[in-house]
Amino acid sequence: MATSAGRGLVSHDTQKRLQRIAVYLTALLISVFTIIPVYVMVVIAIQSPATTFAGGRVNLLPTEPSLRNFLVLLGSTDTVRYFVNSLVVTLGSTVLSTTIAVAAGYGLTRFDFTGKSLAARAVLFSYMFSPIVLAIPLYVVFSTLGLLNSHFALTLALTAISAPFCIWLMWQYFQTVPIALEESAWVRGASRWRTVRDVVLPVARPGYISAAIFAFAVAWNDFTMARVVMSRDEMYTITVGASLFLDRVSIGWGETMAVSLLISIPPFLIALFLQRYLLQGFSVGGLE
Amino acid sequence: MATSIHLDTVRKEFRTLGNTHVAVDDLSLDIPEGSFTTFVGPSGCGKTTTLRMLAGLETPTSGTVSFGDEDVTDLPPQERNVSMVFQSIALYPHMSVRENIGYGLKIHGVPKAERDERIDEAAAVLQIEAQLEKMPAELSGGQQQRVALGGAFVQDPDVLLLDEPMSDLDAKLKSDLRVEIQRLHQELDTTVVYVTHDQTEAMTMSDQVVLLRDGELAQVDPPKQLFDYPNSEYVAQFIGMPSTNVVDCAVEAGDGGTALVGPGFELSLPAGVEAPTSDRVRLGIRPQYLDVGSDGACRLSVDVEVVETLGTESVVHGRLEDGTPFDVVSDAVDDAVAGDRLDVSFDLADAFVFGEDGETILFGSERAGERSSSPAGAGGVTP
Repeated sequence: MATSAGRGLVSHDTQKRLQRIAVYLTALLISVFTIIPVYVMVVIAIQSPATTFAGGRVNLLPTEPSLRNFLVLLGSTDTVRYFVNSLVVTLGSTVLSTTIAVAAGYGLTRFDFTGKSLAARAVLFSYMFSPIVLAIPLYVVFSTLGLLNSHFALTLALTAISAPFCIWLMWQYFQTVPIALEESAWVRGASRWRTVRDVVLPVARPGYISAAIFAFAVAWNDFTMARVVMSRDEMYTITVGASLFLDRVSIGWGETMAVSLLISIPPFLIALFLQRYLLQGFSVGGLE
Repeated sequence: MATSIHLDTVRKEFRTLGNTHVAVDDLSLDIPEGSFTTFVGPSGCGKTTTLRMLAGLETPTSGTVSFGDEDVTDLPPQERNVSMVFQSIALYPHMSVRENIGYGLKIHGVPKAERDERIDEAAAVLQIEAQLEKMPAELSGGQQQRVALGGAFVQDPDVLLLDEPMSDLDAKLKSDLRVEIQRLHQELDTTVVYVTHDQTEAMTMSDQVVLLRDGELAQVDPPKQLFDYPNSEYVAQFIGMPSTNVVDCAVEAGDGGTALVGPGFELSLPAGVEAPTSDRVRLGIRPQYLDVGSDGACRLSVDVEVVETLGTESVVHGRLEDGTPFDVVSDAVDDAVAGDRLDVSFDLADAFVFGEDGETILFGSERAGERSSSPAGAGGVTP
């Protein structure tokens, strides 16, 4: 400590005040870096390009909000289709990854089997892979199976990326669920399945919601796998689709920002409504 | 319907990384139906493992467990009509108190109306009616423990198992719940098996105490019998508070018969007492059976180190002249302070003599007629 009990250079109260100011300053700085890009995106999205670029400079104070950019997107692009594609594979992969994670986490903490620690290490190891490392082998696999350009294949590919971390998360979480809760239910006559349904899943809810949020984020923001697995325009996800807009002559910055805004809405809603669970789950996983 | 429980040469091994740990070693035991039996012993003596085998949460490596005439050794917990209260209480955090108590009934398909009736009844017995609609996290530790008890007995089990249910509660709550549990046992038609490391709980509540040591049976007896006739030094020291004083003695044969010679005292064995065959024995004497002063048959002096005042009596912790720790409980030592030398005496009638292997080879009371003095804190009850 810089000061010794009350007799130092700064009083205890001042120290506390300084500490608080430091926290606020840091928060402010971080906010500036995150809020400015979001603000720019929103402003450009809700103004027509004519307004934004009027007078040869970029106007960032919205004066004439309009839905023109969104109407262009709906009218002359496949945005809706891309969006639906993204939703389908994201939901599929989130459900699949979370289910695998819950089953694996439960198994790893509740049963003894040979190779258990090896399995656990393999899970962590596979998490180290960058998606691009998996992309080529998965392309070969899906190509051989004739599964390219299908929602099913992309769902599997996205699950391959998110599942290791989700499994690890659930594994950690289940370690905090006392086995006595389950034993108590067994003694009262509940079968193992009934116990999982009535006791284990409700108690593990913060854990699997965190896992689901993570799986959702991975799948929704994915670009690599969608690019590799989907080659037909009508199968693109919104991330891939949006990236191609700028190549077209008819689409400008206004429309691109509008589609970016659309992409941000689902994650924003999730963060808004589920952040309580996210924090609970991650703090148990040692990621506080 | 209460049932009797029989354990026949039950053995339980745990294997981890090539090590075999024997938790329970050839335990044979009969627990009468409707009785209150307590398993007691230090940590790691196998008492909880035994209880878990009764619940069906562990399967014995060998031996059989039967309830009445039915062999339940390999039955899963779901198929035994037992209830268990866990050390960690184990209430379901996402269910209200009412749902927690009624969960077992729900599993067994009891209709909601009857369920509620029985839950209300249980809550009335345990005085937690006001808490029924709360969540477990809103309750105090004592209330949570009552809820756990309620959930266990509302199902009307044949066997009620309690695994150190009070280890996390404070002393006042413990003594309240102790009475509560005994009252429940009287009202219910069920066999209660209670596990504890606290000999006070064992002594105060049970019909029968099972004392375990390293997975083996040390002694099974009613509390009073266990206190008065411990069959080994281990039992004598474990049961009773403070623990029985044990002093090394030499056996010396003289003109007047055999005498036990210890640090600062000599105790001659009366005629007719079979002399120990070995040269050395250990003499056990409960702190409560020592008289301050020198009226008893055998006198010795204790150097006082610490005095604990309990109100009606005091516990003196001291040492004999050779350094052997020696405790005295008496109502006549209030003015003793550290550094004093205290003269105490006892009669052979109150002593135990242990052989070299720790077995009790002589109960003073059996050899020298009736017990001469009534102990100050008999039964090992601490206030």
